[in-house]
Amino acid sequence: MAAARKHKRVAASQPGFLPLKSDPNNDASANLGRRKRVNKNKKKNWNKYSDIQDVEEFLEDVRLQERATGGLIADKPDESLFFVDTGEKKSIPKPEAVKKGKRSKPLRIDLILQPDSQVPAPKDILAYQRPNAKKLRLMAEKAEKLAAMGMLSRREKLLQLRKTAETHVKEKPLNSKDPGRGFYDLWSAGSPDSADPYYLEQTKKKLVKRPEKLNEKPSILPAVEVIAPGGSYNPDFLSHQTLLLEAHEAEVKKVKAEEKLERQLAINRMDIATEESVFNEQVEGLIEEDEGEEMKETEHTAEDSKDAAVGPTAQPEKKTERQRKREKAERIKELQKKAERKMLDSRQQLFQLRSIGADLKRRELRTTTRQTKRKAKQEAQKALPRRLGKLKFQGPDLEVQLSDELAGSLRTLKPEGSVLKDRFKSLQKRNLIEPRERAKFKRKHKVKYVEKRAFREIQ
Amino acid sequence: MGGLQKKKYESGSATNYISRNKARKKLSLSLADFRRLCILKGIYPHEPKHKKKVNKGSTAQRTFYLLKDIRFLLHEPVVGKFREYKIFVRKLRKAYGKAEWGSVERLKDNKPTYKLDHIVKERYPTFIDALRDVDDALSMCFLFSTFARTGKCHVQVIQLCRRLSVEWMNYIIASRSLKKVFLSIKGIYYQAEVLGQTITWLVPYQFAHDHPTDVDYRVMATFTEFYTTLLGFVNFRLYQTLNLIYPPKLDGKGETDLKADFEEDYAMDSESYLEKLSALSASLARVVSTAEEEEAEMDHFPAEGEDMEKMEARVKAQQEEDKHKKLFEGLKFFLNREVPRESLAFLLRCFGAQVSWDKSLCIGSTYDITDETITHHVVDRPSLDKQYINRYYIQPQWVYDCVNSKILLPVEDYFLGVTLPPHLSPFVEEKEGDYVPPERQKLLALQRGEKPVAEQDEEDEDEEEEEDEEEDDDDDDAEEEEEEEEEEEEEAEQEAKLKDMEQKRTQGKALSVKVTPGKATPDNRQRLEQEEKAEEKRLAIMMMKKKDKYLYDKIMFGKKRKVREANKMAAKRKALDEASKSDRRKKSKKQ
Repeated sequence: MAAARKHKRVAASQPGFLPLKSDPNNDASANLGRRKRVNKNKKKNWNKYSDIQDVEEFLEDVRLQERATGGLIADKPDESLFFVDTGEKKSIPKPEAVKKGKRSKPLRIDLILQPDSQVPAPKDILAYQRPNAKKLRLMAEKAEKLAAMGMLSRREKLLQLRKTAETHVKEKPLNSKDPGRGFYDLWSAGSPDSADPYYLEQTKKKLVKRPEKLNEKPSILPAVEVIAPGGSYNPDFLSHQTLLLEAHEAEVKKVKAEEKLERQLAINRMDIATEESVFNEQVEGLIEEDEGEEMKETEHTAEDSKDAAVGPTAQPEKKTERQRKREKAERIKELQKKAERKMLDSRQQLFQLRSIGADLKRRELRTTTRQTKRKAKQEAQKALPRRLGKLKFQGPDLEVQLSDELAGSLRTLKPEGSVLKDRFKSLQKRNLIEPRERAKFKRKHKVKYVEKRAFREIQ
Repeated sequence: MGGLQKKKYESGSATNYISRNKARKKLSLSLADFRRLCILKGIYPHEPKHKKKVNKGSTAQRTFYLLKDIRFLLHEPVVGKFREYKIFVRKLRKAYGKAEWGSVERLKDNKPTYKLDHIVKERYPTFIDALRDVDDALSMCFLFSTFARTGKCHVQVIQLCRRLSVEWMNYIIASRSLKKVFLSIKGIYYQAEVLGQTITWLVPYQFAHDHPTDVDYRVMATFTEFYTTLLGFVNFRLYQTLNLIYPPKLDGKGETDLKADFEEDYAMDSESYLEKLSALSASLARVVSTAEEEEAEMDHFPAEGEDMEKMEARVKAQQEEDKHKKLFEGLKFFLNREVPRESLAFLLRCFGAQVSWDKSLCIGSTYDITDETITHHVVDRPSLDKQYINRYYIQPQWVYDCVNSKILLPVEDYFLGVTLPPHLSPFVEEKEGDYVPPERQKLLALQRGEKPVAEQDEEDEDEEEEEDEEEDDDDDDAEEEEEEEEEEEEEAEQEAKLKDMEQKRTQGKALSVKVTPGKATPDNRQRLEQEEKAEEKRLAIMMMKKKDKYLYDKIMFGKKRKVREANKMAAKRKALDEASKSDRRKKSKKQ
């Protein structure tokens, strides 16, 4: 470097040196005024009062030349600087070439990133430096020895710590739906928690115990109900017939229900307005009826009103003392009579012992039969779907294939019904979910119909 | 009277129940989340006994939950996750709306997830509890694994279901615990006995899906989410009991066999393993590699009297079971491409057969169609061009019927192009006196070890057998029965026709009657003994108390009624058979 600088200086001092920027104003001698007198025995003053601008400028110029042309212009041979002008060259670029050039044109971003200086980048010094091999070797040997003993260097330790920490953070909780998820022995006797149960409970580390009652199934039906033997793909004739009969009965029931509904909804023929009835309605009140009948009717009504008026107006008169006393005596007498009768009856019952016994037995029998009936009913109820919501459970349609639909072989079999629906209905039937209806789409705002102008014009 | 008046609906059943909406508010969850939580935790709605009281005087139909259940739900950690998820969705939506892609990424990275392991443990405290409830899980998993990946539910769920169902099938094969199978019009029912639990599940036919609109997919997906977790843990435990590696690995030997050239073309590396597993053609690797399962012999204890008999019965049952397990051992099957491959491969492998199929049909075929050692070729088309002479060409139903009857049935009925005998349901268990279809009777006879007779004689013999049985049923009641039969026969037209037929037959028989010299039959002791027994029984009946006699009569009446019904069915069947036979004869005459 030093040599190069020296060379530059020497070059600049040559009489043929051409400065790149040469403006006449910058002439140092012209600007020089009177020289200032300053003490030069202080270092501070050296910098302050010595004028090195010309040197700076010169060096700047040198650097610029180096950047722009890769060396001093003065050093360059003439051929690289000049050429002989022999007029315009006639060269028409081929269109293909132009296109090619366009295609191979470098990206603008690459151009920006190009170094715009001609000075080559300084070489990597470290690449030439030789490391202290011996020292390094010794250090490695020592580290190996320590590692064999189980000691790690501080740096290594930190690295490992960092690694574990990183992996710990990165480990994502696996989704339960992930197809590659792993399983383990869930029911193996895990280590019982040694910590204080109260502590675990308070910190919510221990799950709340599930009530025993929840483990009872809501229905006694099996999870998978096997289809009747008639549902075989190649069924026995009679079992197929029984299944068909069952399906037929179900269908008949449905039809009957439908018919009933229709019947109830039908308009009664008597209620339909005929011409006559319409006419009567219009004329009502306009035609005079027989006067005699009317008279009779009025009489009747008058009598009725009289009778009605007499009844409620009769007020009970006040009872006399005597009457009261007599009534009281009568009451007492009645009570006595009743008590006596009771005594007599109970005494009489002694003779009816046998019939009473029979009666008791009969009653007991009746209660037992009722109990068994009720129990049987309850048992039967257990298998039935409960009413769990707005809708009642509706059994799935019976899967059945008619005789001519039956396939002779497994290849030509057309499956009937959907397994998905079967599973869904089974869940409902076993009271695991409540039967529901698909939510209907409800429009929030009313739709407004507007006729477009274009449409109107066509019409 | 002193004291305050009691307010209504502040005690009793009104306080034990809570309506769904109130419960939802108490948990501060949306309805969908609440429903999901209830399904996951196994908390179901409850129908109160006195609805009006619970509903505070209103008679509107509502869904009620037990208050204690809802209180229990409050402690569930998953509830918190649901709330977190709700907030996550809100944030994500906001970030999308603002087009802040950076924060979208960050949010997606931190998506809250939850696990259901603790719920499974809580709901099923022991492994056997879980196994008892695995029916539902299996049916659901098999169902979801057949869904198309069209967005009705998450692809991940479908993949997980597929994986679990394949694992289950492989376990059943390894443990050889399949018992019954039934091809219905709905799907295929399987029944297996795993660790003493009878497990039934339903597998839909492949490609048979129309998506019904009245099924709530969200509910089903939630059930499936729980059941997949359950089934995974159950599978793990089951694999452990058999010393198999979990997740399942193919046996080393099998794996090398399976490495074919076209493997790369068939599927991606990550998928091909599951595909190979689901081919079901190779056995699984064990943790401790033993040559074969050493069979645990039952311990013998000296026993006396009844115990001895029980023991013998048990030993016999055990032997039969072992025999059933090795039903197809040593046979070599080849599946043509039109048969349901997975079901058949599963079944055959369950009973120890070797199975293969065309290379282009599925991965994991072990031998070619040209293999000379193939014993059975399963075909489901009317005819085949090229047939090998040293193997049976059978229809797939043979395999299913063999499994159900626990013996190798004669192959003649199931040859190529032959009309198949009916496929009977193995889930029907006949009691005494029930009607048993003749096919089933034939089967039972075969199981007892009687040899099948030649085709043409069979039918006639069957009829005779039936008649014999009818006569044997009840000697003393026979007359009464016949009378009743006749009465009933008169009732319906169809039966009248039947009677005509019978009359014709009897006439035909009467014509051929001959008088032959009788033989003196010597009284044998057995006959005498029987008579004595019958007499004793009669006397015992006479000595009965009135009450007991009433009961006895009732029971006998019920039995008789059953027998009568069975006879009726048999007669119908006979008529049908005869009609079809005569039809056939007519046809053949015409031809």
